[in-house]
Amino acid sequence: MNIFGLAIGLVTLGIIGLGFPLVIQTERRGGYLWWPYMLAVGVLLAIGSLFVGNIWVSALLGAVGATFAWGSTELKEQAVRTEVGWYPFNDHKVQPPLAEIIKKWKAPHL
Amino acid sequence: MAFNLVGLAATLATFLGIWAGHVSVRKVESVARSIKWPSSIYAVLGISCEVGAGLSPQPAWSAALGILGITFLFDAFEMVRQQRRIVKGHAPAQPGNPRHARILAESSSATTHDLLKREPVGRPVGADEAIRLITEHYA
Repeated sequence: MNIFGLAIGLVTLGIIGLGFPLVIQTERRGGYLWWPYMLAVGVLLAIGSLFVGNIWVSALLGAVGATFAWGSTELKEQAVRTEVGWYPFNDHKVQPPLAEIIKKWKAPHL
Repeated sequence: MAFNLVGLAATLATFLGIWAGHVSVRKVESVARSIKWPSSIYAVLGISCEVGAGLSPQPAWSAALGILGITFLFDAFEMVRQQRRIVKGHAPAQPGNPRHARILAESSSATTHDLLKREPVGRPVGADEAIRLITEHYA
């Protein structure tokens, strides 16, 4: 019996669970326009996982990377949730670099 | 240089597991007359994947199946959470579904509008404006 997959699955569940506050806090503090940066972090972590020899570290980097990538697709809907009052709305968000350009891009969502 | 494909397997399993779960739970919950059967099917799929992960000698397959199994098991729980969202009006109810029709009759918060299906406007909006914004989005 190989417990590697089950153990990685359970840890990934925890990582995905941490993805929810990551999305909430990123949107609250910075707004949904941070999505390209969050996506880039996810892609870089996933690429980095290819170069790590240890299978546990590689798998966890991949799971964290995928969670960041998924988080980037949740930011826009989270912004709407704050606007309709389901979460606190912050009027003083820290805008990301190149915000005016990012506004012209369509934010992804699943 | 040899790449370690375990991380790639974990990335794909995590992202695709969340994606497929996200989309399928919303769709299945909206059409199912009862959430018991769909939840049970998600649970069986999850347990099957975990058994496969335990039997797989390849770390990449074991990781992918382990992660997919956990996301399926979470989807079983998500069916309950999605129904709660319908009751609270945080997801649109389908009047053609008898279970949703009951929720619409019993819960004053439940709505047929998908209040999230629009672009953010950068300020708080009231209930009437929230509906107007999604109406404009669909137009």
